[in-house]
Formats: sequence, structure tokens, C-alpha cells
Amino acid sequence: MKPAIFEHERMSSIDDVVQALANADGEVRVLGGGQSIGPMMNLRLAQPDKVLDLSRVEGLDGISEAGDRLSIGARVTHARIEDGEVPGTTGAYMQFVASGISYRSVRNRGTIGGSVAHADPAADWPTALLALGGEVKVVGSGGEKSIPLDGFQVGPFTTGLGWDEVLIGFDLPALGPNTKWGYYKVNRKPGEFADAIGAVIIGNEARAVCGATESAPFRVFDIEEKLSGGATELSVADAREILSGHDAGFDDYELQIHAVALSRAIGRAFA
Amino acid sequence: MPDGTSEFGIGAKVLRKEDARFLNGHGRYVADIARPKMLEAAIVRSPVAHANNLKVTAPEDSKGRFFTADDLSADCVAPIHVVSKFPGHKGSDYPHLANGKLRFVGEAVAVCLAETRAAAEDMVAATGLTFDALPPAIDMIADAEPGAPKVHDDWEDNVILDSRFEENTDAFKESAVSVTRDFRMNRQAVNPLEGGAVLAEWDAREERLVVHSASQIPHILRNALCECLGLSQNQVHVIAPDVGGGFGYKCVLLPEEIYIPWVAMQVKRPVRWIQDRREHLVTAANAREHHYSVTLHADSDGNFIGIEADIHVDSGAYAVYPHSNILESTMAGRTLHGPYKMSAYKVRSRAVATNKPPIVPYRGVARPGICFAMELAVDALARELGREPCDLREQNLVPVEAMPYTTITGGEFDSGDYPEALRRARGLIDLPAIRARQEAGEDDGRQIGIGFGCYIEMTALQTSAAARAGLAAIPGYEQAQVRLMPDGGLEIGVGVQNHGQGMETTLAQVACEKFGLEIEDVAVRHGDTATSPYSTGTYASRSMVMAGGAISRTCDVLGERIRKIGAHLLQCDLSQTEISSAAVTGPSGSVPFAEISRVWYRNPEELPDSVDPGGVEAVSGFRPEPDNSPFSYATHAAVVAVDPDLGSVEILDYVISEDCGTIVNPMIVDGQIIGGALQGVGTALFEESNYDAEGQPLSSTFADYAMPGSTHLPVLRLDHLVTPSPLTEFGVKGLGEGGAIPPPAAIANAVNDALREYGVEVAETPITPRRVLTAIWKAKQSRLSSVETS
Amino acid sequence: MSDLTININGEHVTANVEPRLSLADFIRDHQRLTGTHLGCEHGVCGACTVLMNGEPVRSCITFAVVADGTEITTIEGFDDDEPMAQLRQAFHENHALQCGYCTPGMLVAARDIVTRLPDADEDRVRLELAGNLCRCTGYVGIVKAILSVLEQRCS
Repeated sequence: MKPAIFEHERMSSIDDVVQALANADGEVRVLGGGQSIGPMMNLRLAQPDKVLDLSRVEGLDGISEAGDRLSIGARVTHARIEDGEVPGTTGAYMQFVASGISYRSVRNRGTIGGSVAHADPAADWPTALLALGGEVKVVGSGGEKSIPLDGFQVGPFTTGLGWDEVLIGFDLPALGPNTKWGYYKVNRKPGEFADAIGAVIIGNEARAVCGATESAPFRVFDIEEKLSGGATELSVADAREILSGHDAGFDDYELQIHAVALSRAIGRAFA
Repeated sequence: MPDGTSEFGIGAKVLRKEDARFLNGHGRYVADIARPKMLEAAIVRSPVAHANNLKVTAPEDSKGRFFTADDLSADCVAPIHVVSKFPGHKGSDYPHLANGKLRFVGEAVAVCLAETRAAAEDMVAATGLTFDALPPAIDMIADAEPGAPKVHDDWEDNVILDSRFEENTDAFKESAVSVTRDFRMNRQAVNPLEGGAVLAEWDAREERLVVHSASQIPHILRNALCECLGLSQNQVHVIAPDVGGGFGYKCVLLPEEIYIPWVAMQVKRPVRWIQDRREHLVTAANAREHHYSVTLHADSDGNFIGIEADIHVDSGAYAVYPHSNILESTMAGRTLHGPYKMSAYKVRSRAVATNKPPIVPYRGVARPGICFAMELAVDALARELGREPCDLREQNLVPVEAMPYTTITGGEFDSGDYPEALRRARGLIDLPAIRARQEAGEDDGRQIGIGFGCYIEMTALQTSAAARAGLAAIPGYEQAQVRLMPDGGLEIGVGVQNHGQGMETTLAQVACEKFGLEIEDVAVRHGDTATSPYSTGTYASRSMVMAGGAISRTCDVLGERIRKIGAHLLQCDLSQTEISSAAVTGPSGSVPFAEISRVWYRNPEELPDSVDPGGVEAVSGFRPEPDNSPFSYATHAAVVAVDPDLGSVEILDYVISEDCGTIVNPMIVDGQIIGGALQGVGTALFEESNYDAEGQPLSSTFADYAMPGSTHLPVLRLDHLVTPSPLTEFGVKGLGEGGAIPPPAAIANAVNDALREYGVEVAETPITPRRVLTAIWKAKQSRLSSVETS
Repeated sequence: MSDLTININGEHVTANVEPRLSLADFIRDHQRLTGTHLGCEHGVCGACTVLMNGEPVRSCITFAVVADGTEITTIEGFDDDEPMAQLRQAFHENHALQCGYCTPGMLVAARDIVTRLPDADEDRVRLELAGNLCRCTGYVGIVKAILSVLEQRCS
């Protein structure tokens, strides 16, 4: 179980990366913490020709707050978020999410940017950040731009990141102290990828996300509407009813556990 | 019986002698060994479950580094062939490398050699395969019938063996209550943390093949190498170094253990193959997969009349060496009765060949399935009768006064108080308290249930019993070699293999018990055919009973030789001497072993002319009298909470009351039972080797194959009954496997108890959330439709 | 091929390796420090856990080239480490190992628990251990051993 041959290039700056991406022929992968791509390469499910290693690139591991916005660098590890480095209510929410991602020895290497760019449907950050809202910061040949997290992931392992672009960080809302949040992950063993995720945030606006689907996580507007209207709970039956209106390809069991995840996420938010 | 006088003897909690090397990273497993000029092997494997006309195209520039079945045939390498003495058993070759026909996904096709494993895997990727795919046989029940795709062309059908066990079937007429159920224990994988591993080289100086393998059976492996490669025993040296768990997977021969050594002989360089986790999960380490249609009959008072059953065991494509492909089906057919008395028995059991990997005898061997079927049937009968399941069990277990007891199928229980184990487990888990808690209900909306599982385990499977059962592999009597060393310490050689059981400690304890030695003065050597007595190896919970017995008996022989020297030095009669605290004691004083050794090894001139030149080294052995197996037994009791919204099951409490006879080392006994129990939890709730309709494995990584972890069995309490076996040295019984046997039964019964108001019966392992919810919905559906029709 | 310099167990090592070489294979096959084991090679079982700059990581899914410039500590590198000495003794006394294969990775993970989470209770210890598979012990001895070291270090 060893990877196929690839070329490894240590990047020294984001410009380096953009240039390398622009000049690439063959399959190129950007390596953050490598905790998702590593297993796939060992299994030869991913066989990039070239790997661009971000570990020496400066300026990707910052966490800063400015007004009601939070800026988080792509290479911030799950472990740093677990340890509470992100401030405020957003930090508390992200801390909770981070502590359930895989295991400490993976969280020490795995990065938030890598996770979102990798876009595994069963991973935590794509769902958790969609519930938070905000933007993905990207640099490409055309310079720097922001892409809303809404719609950033378009399918399994597929995002709105262009082939010549690299994800450098996130611009996220700093949630107010009275914001309620709930995150419920269904899995069989702590740290494993999720079978279902429900994520809700009720602040200035209400956002509810159904995650760990066959494809991209999606917002459930009917639930958001209820929450905006003051609902503080949602029965599993009602969640099922609402989710069955979405074309998520769920079978009966999947529909049930996603409904439970959302129902319990709301329960936790108002507990 | 142990007298408790030795600090390190039988019954002492001696900390393990083998721990230090593992704690410091100094263990040596096969993958830790490297040889100069060593090549690494990667294996081309079948991508399909069933095909013929296989053609292999070698990668470019691979001459001398790529080998197929044609190369093996050209050198007259014989395939693995296991013969069972059961009449009607269909035999087949197990080719080391597929020869024209492919019979399961992952079957070995070709060997690629390179300087690194990664480069060898590049060769695998560059290998071309063509074949004509055939419809596979995947479903052991449907594919047991005529007309199914045939795994072996020259067979009439896929039924490897159709065996029937019938006794006193007229008595079924007396039954007043009967319950009929179908049960399924699905296929799973063994998953020791270290998989298979082979490092082989031809030693030109010694003129012999040296094979390092992660094996539980080094001597059996040597036999197989000699049979397949046409070598003499003197030309093969097998070493099993530290072995990273076995659990039965490593008590069968892997094809790699033959073709890797053969390849090493061809290239005249050391060759190493390390099985990776995907290979382990997909190709070779499958186990279990039983289906039972059971009817349990009782009279109106709940006394069991007997059991009728139709059993299928999916044995996979081939028979594994040496235990064959009918071990599980015949054991299931013969011992479905478990620990219960009954007067009628009618069981048909079929081993069926399918296009899946051969099954291997995983910890518990057949009995987890047997126990699951029998114990769930008992609970179903209890519900039918409106009885507390525990009471129904107590009423039907073989009682202590009936011991020794001959079962309906001729098995002989040697000793024990089966109902007492049940009563103790019931007391410890506090059945009335759980019933009261159920009445009160749970604040979190979950449902609580309690379940029991009773089992018996025939341990240290005996020679004559195995022969009577027609098994392909007959375990032998066991020998040990014990040597008093020149410094007065002891060195013991055994042919059984330690792969985590702590035998370097517990077997040493036997000698400490006999001679009163300090534990550090006794070394146990094993895992090397060149230095240990021949043994069929470690399996069937036999090592402490057999090798421990052999050490005890050999110490008797050696002890007399030591006493003779001591008697001379003490100037007394042999009959006046005894051994204690590592010294020979007589009327005038005592002589320590070190002094005996000094005289024997360095100053033999001090000994009289009548000295026994046999010296202070002896080989002797053990055979139980009569040649029967000691039976261990236990009751496991589980309390679970089922989340009816998610279908998830959490274990809230778990109790084991067991009897493994005399306990040699309580710490190690507990460790074996607890470790086995968590594996049983894996079988019950998590582990499943799934295949799709085309025979493609769906559980090829730990992402798809759920292993039980540190959070899954948080509470476990143990209780020991000690009924010494009359058959063995010190009264020990085997215990390595038992812990893994009843958890699926106890947990499933607890889940069904939790969901009894829903009318739910889960009847299949693993009890996944999806299965629980599906069962709940099905029960709801059938209640609705019965309301509609009434 | 890529150049790398790593400090392993206090020793400076330079090498020229294939980029696809994992840190685990570098440690085991190139440096012949075979105490670190491979159990799954896809980051689930934890047998390959080592310290990188003092933090536990999976050496099977970390490329050696990525570890360039770091300090790596393997099970062979804890001779003068107090928490590891305590853990070794506690593992021995609590029968926290059987076949020994998971033990080095388990010890490295356990050291992280006792140093990072001094207040951990049994539930937390079990949760933190979920990333290290042991097929032999059922975890009871391992959990007991870690709890006993936590207690020792408290007092």
C-alpha cells in the first residue's frame, strides 16, 4: 500500500504555487496537512504527477479578528482550533467541531483549508463552515478573490476552486455572544467520518445544513425559515418530512439519520 | 493442585516477562527484519470473483522478477490440498497462484519483486490480465442448490460437505411449544494488528530454506513447505519471531508462505512480503458467515425436548491447510446444543463453496455462530412461553450433579457448574434492578434491555476427538524440552507459539510451581523449528493445557534426575529427597540447583559411576487421561440502551461469570477474556466483510470496515468460578477463545429485550443501526397490516 | 529524489529519498528504527504514531520529505522521558499489552494524553484513545494504566 511515483515541490510562497499550478501539465495536487490525500495516495486512489507542498509557505497559519469578521488561514490545523485559538462564539462552535475530527494525531497535521479544498462529503468542515457562512479566500492567476461558502462545494470532492487556484484561507462571521449553535454528528466511533451531520446556527440569520450526504452539504431553507420564525425545536418526523422534499438521494435509513442529526442539532442549540 | 508455596507458581499474578521488549520498541516482528540484498514482493491479485481463461502479461523489463502459476508448475510445486476423512467431502486443490481460473477477488495471480515495496507495486500496476468473467456464486444458500454457478468445475454442486446429526428424533413428537427462527452471522475479518508476513531466503551455507513467518504453527508450516516444494524436513527452517496477534488467522497456511519462499529460491536472494491492511481485509482473513434455520422444541413446562436445524456455512473458494473447509460446518452441526440438556437432535449442516476468500478459524471457531443461534432461540422460546429467559436457561443447563455429562451428540463435558455461572452473572448484573429500570423508562427516550449468553467451549481439542470427528488436522500430544542450565536456571523449549497470550510468563510459571524457581530464572523458547519440539502449534485454546501439561510432566522427569544428583551430594537415598525453592532437600540439608549444575556441567568427576548420563535435560510430554478435552464455560450478561431514532446500541453494563478451571495467572486470564469479549462486541455490533452481487468486496479499508474501539465496552466486570478439570495437569482448562464466543448472543438478546414492545427481533450480526431501524420499521409495518386485516 | 534533514531521537540525519516514501518507512527501513509499526497505512489504527516537534502524528500518512527540518521522536527515543517511563511501568503493571504490536503507537498517544490533558477522566481517556486500535486487550488495561499515570502526575 505505497503511493505511485510523484514529484514533490516545496513551495516558498503563494505566488510560487500559483505559478506552478499555471504551468502544470498532468495532475497536480496541493498538499496541506496531507491527512486526507495521504491515505488516498497510499491506496493509489489518488495518483498525482506532482505535489505542491505548502508547508513552507508563509502567511497561511494566521487567525485574526477584525470587527465582526474572522480571518483564518488555510493551514491552521484542526488541533489549534480544538485548543481554542479561534476567539468568541465562532471559536466555541469551531472548537466543538474540530474536537470531533478524526484523532489528535491527525488533527495535529490536518488543516481546515485542506479539508475544505479536498471536499470529502463526510468531512466536518465543509458542513460546519457552510452553516457558519462566509467566504473562501482564493488566489489564482487572476489574483486574489473571495468565493462564498454557499455553493463553494458542488459535489463529492468537487469545489468551485479553479484548476489554477489555491485556497489560502477563510473570511468568517464572528458570531455574536447570543448566537445559538448546534452540531450533531452521527457516526459509529469517535473521530470517524460522519454518516450524517446536522449543523445549525441561529444568530442574525438562521442557517441549517444537512451534511455527510452523497454529495455536497446543503442548506435546508424550510428549517431555516422555522428557526427564523422562532422555532426552538424540530421533531424527527418534521425533519424527515422537510428533508424528503430535497433531492438528496437518501434511502429511508439515510433520510432518518439526517433528520435525527438536524433535529438534535437544533435541540443542542437551544439546550 | 498448586499448593501456593511458589511466589511465581500456578495462580500467581506474575507480571509479564515479555513486556520489556515491546514497551521499548525492541519487539521483532517479521517486517522488522531486513536481510542484505533483500527484495520486496507485491502481489498481482484477481480483480474479479469468478473467471476462466486467465492470461497474464508481465510488465516490461520484469524478467527474473515476475512469477506466475506457470513458473510454479514448471518447477513441479504442488498445490495445497487438504483431505478430510468425512465421507462425502469434496476435495479441491488450493493453487498458490491462480492457474487459468479465478475464484475470488484478491486471489493471488503473480508475484512482483523489486528493491522496494513501492516499486513492486508499480510492477503490479503494470501487469496485464485478461480473462472471461463468469457469474459468481456469492449466496451460500441459493448457491448450495443445483444449477448455481460452480466454484469448482469438476464438482457436482457447491456443497463441500452435507452432514447430518440425528439422535432420537421420535422425541420431537412430545414437544408442546416450538419456536422457529432464522439467524445469520455475517462474514468478518480477523484483523490482528500485524497481518501476514513472510521473509524467506535460501541459506547456502546451511543448505536449507529459512522462512520467517508471522505464524501460530511454525512446525505445520514446515510440513507444508516440504510437501509443496519437495524438500526434506532437514532442508527447511521456520522461525516465527514476535507475532502481532493471531486469533486463528495465523494457524492456517497462507499461499504466500509457500510461493514467497519458492520465489526466494529462484532469485537466490532474500524476499520479503508484508501483507498490507487491504490485502488482509480483502484476500485472506475472512471468517464466520453462518446461517441457521432453527426450531427449538420444549414441553409445556419449558424443558427442552430438542433442536432441529438447517445450517449453512459459507466456506469460500478453497480449503485452508491444515484445518480444511468443514471445521466450522461440522462443529456447528455437532454442538448446536451448547450447554443444554436435550433428548432429541436433528441437524443438517452444509459447508458451501462460494467465490469469496476461504474462511479461517477465527477465535471461537463456529461457536460464536452456534451460541448466537441457540441463545437467540432460547430467548424466542422464553417470549413464547412468557418466561424470564434467565429462568428458562437455568432450568435447561446441564446441572452440576450430572457431571461428567455425555451430550446428545456424544461429547463429554468434564466438569463445572453451568447453572451457577448463570446465577452469578444474573446476580452481578442485577436482573431485578434492570427490570425495574425498564418499568420506569429512560429520560433520554432510549430503550434498555438485558440479555444473556451461555456457552461451552471444548478446549485443547483432543487427538481422539479430532480423529472421531474426521478432521483434516489432528492435534497431537504435546512435548516440552526442559534443561537445567549451567547457572542453575531453567530453559524450556516448546513448539506452541506465543503471539500475545503471555506464554513466556505463564509457561514459566508451571516450572516455578514445580521447582520453586524465581520467574527470572526460567526462560521459555518457542517459535523456531530448529530449537523446539515438534508441535501442531497454538490454536483451539490448547497451549496452556497441552504445553503447560508437557512442561509439568517433563519437570517430573527432570526433577528425578536432579534429585539423583542431589541425593549423591547429600549422601542420602533418592526417596529422602524433594525439590523446593530451586534446591534439592534431604535429611542433612539442601543443595541449590546452581550447585547441582556446577557438579554436572563442570565437575562431573564428583559424581559416582552410577551417574545417569542422560544429564539434566529432558523431553517428555502430556496426554490427558482419558484422552478428552476440558470444557470451559461462561455466562455473559449485557445491558444495552437502544436509541430508537438512530438504531444505535450502547453497552451500559457487561458481566462475565466464567470457569476456566485452575487459573495459572489471574492477570493474564482476565486479559484474554476481556480482549476476546471486545472482539465479540465487534462481531455483535460492528464488523462485516461485505460483498456485492458480483463478489466485489466492499470492506477493503478500515474506513469501510468498522473495528471496535476504546469507547465501545467501557464497563466490564469479571467473575471466576474455579472447577479444576479432572483431565489436566493442575486442573487447567483452555480459555483463549471463550471471551469472543457469547457477546453477539448476549448483546442481540439485550437489543431484542430492549425492543420487545416493538415486537422486534434482530437476528443478524453485526447489529448495525441500519439493521435495527429496519427491524423496527418492519415490525411497525407488520403490526399495522395485522391491525388492518383484523 | 529529494533531500531531507531530520533530527530523529536527537540525532541529525540527512538523506536523499523518493518523495513517495512515508515518514514511517523512512524511520523503519532507512533508519532501522523498527519500534514504530505499520498497522493500516491509511491513518486509522495509530500503530505508526510518532512525535513530530513534540506532537503526535501518523507517520504512515506523512511523507518523509514533509518532515524535512523537523524533530521526530520514536519509541526508541524516550529513554530520559519521565512521562514515558511512568507509562511503561504502568502498562507493565496493568497488563496493557499483549502481542505488543500496537504498543509503541499506543504509548506515544498515551504520552500526549497525560501531558496535554492532566485532568482527563476515564471517559476522556477512552475518547482520546479512539484513534489507536488494539486488537488484543479490549483497552481495559490501557485505560487503567493511563489513568494511573495521570493520578501519579497529579500528586
